[in-house]
Amino acid sequence: MSVNLKMFLKKTIIGPSILINGRLSGEEDLTVRGRVEGEVALSRRLIVDKTGIVKANVSVKHAIISGVVVGNITATDCVELTPGGRMVGDIAAPRVIIVEGASFRGRVHMGDAQTLREARERLGTKPAATSQTSASARFSSSSSLSPISRPPSVPRLILRSTPIPLTQKPIPRPLNTMANVPPSPPSPPEDIPPTDALPMDDDDEFSGDKPLPPEPPAFMEANQKKVVLKKKK
Amino acid sequence: MLQNEPINIIRKGITIRGSLSGGGDLVVEGQVEGLVDLKNHLTIETTGKVQADIRAEQLTINGEASGNIDASSRVAINASALVSGDIRAPRIVIENGAIFNGSIEMDVKLPDDI
Amino acid sequence: MANTIIGSSIIIDGEISGDEDLVIQGTVKGRISLKESLYVESSGIVEADIDTQNVEIAGRVTGNIVASDKVELKADCRVIGDIKSPRILIADGAAFKGNVDMDIKD
Repeated sequence: MSVNLKMFLKKTIIGPSILINGRLSGEEDLTVRGRVEGEVALSRRLIVDKTGIVKANVSVKHAIISGVVVGNITATDCVELTPGGRMVGDIAAPRVIIVEGASFRGRVHMGDAQTLREARERLGTKPAATSQTSASARFSSSSSLSPISRPPSVPRLILRSTPIPLTQKPIPRPLNTMANVPPSPPSPPEDIPPTDALPMDDDDEFSGDKPLPPEPPAFMEANQKKVVLKKKK
Repeated sequence: MLQNEPINIIRKGITIRGSLSGGGDLVVEGQVEGLVDLKNHLTIETTGKVQADIRAEQLTINGEASGNIDASSRVAINASALVSGDIRAPRIVIENGAIFNGSIEMDVKLPDDI
Repeated sequence: MANTIIGSSIIIDGEISGDEDLVIQGTVKGRISLKESLYVESSGIVEADIDTQNVEIAGRVTGNIVASDKVELKADCRVIGDIKSPRILIADGAAFKGNVDMDIKD
């Protein structure tokens, strides 16, 4: 009977014409193709399809956004914005992926770098060439790695030892951003939950846990005025 | 192809404090503290560490950056990057594995009825 | 075929509206208004006023139901509330408490 089959799929779909206004919670994947407003609390994945609009504060394990989200997301694992995904709000999650073609405005809080790296180390995961998202992100970014082609007559870099005023005003934003941005809920969890505490039932592989780059020796600091920029031929 | 392109490089082991400005591309393998204002492409390699407000056309981060970033075209925060600060650019990409804390400002086109 | 499925672990507290079929396997509290059919499956629990075209209930519903076409109470369902609809079917084994109004015009 088709009813039983649907039960086994354990998946909730909000169709394109449906509007839900209120609080939605659950322990299964939720796909939104219509509109959900209010509050969403899920222990698994939220998938906002192209036609989907979520105007809500969301707490979830993993969010994949191809549609529109306005509101704050707290995810215990990951928030992904795919091409076409649009979001305005704050994200608190140990992993955040924004690919080419996605747009986002808001704060991102992944948490302490050391804690994150240790958590990823514990999982023993490697930079995920297997992850489709990461692969496509890498592909799109690789184009930016090739130097901008320009004629050899382009002015050389000027190096000055003392700060000079820029022709334009310096970016009028505080250096330490997270401490200074106006508060807006939800306050990101200080202790990013252990990401391996949850069942690894979907694409949970972490990536990018390369060791910290070695600190360059500091012996040159005293002579910094004599530093010459090398030119690679 | 990379060999034939003239690129400015701040090598590993070099630290620069102060203000950097210019029109060429720059690759940072060492450390920069202060202010960076470039017309073209800034690349921070995995060994590179930049503690500065950065203004550039394009920015590729494989290493560490802290400070505010203003790019006229694109910012790529790659898998090995560790970045904190506020970023403003028309296109911003964060790869899986990158660590970023701060704010992002892109132009987000929302439906009218939201 | 229904586009929208509210799965068995899902709890919605609020309003649902739309122009397509809706299948409820989970819990919905509040209000439901649809232009198409509503299916409350055996695991479904609805505590809401319902306004729709068709309703098929195999689960539990508490609330008033208005359907422009048909209401069907299946075996083992449990419904408390008033029903207003031109066609009402109550199966053997269904539990129902409330008023029935088939909207007969004089």
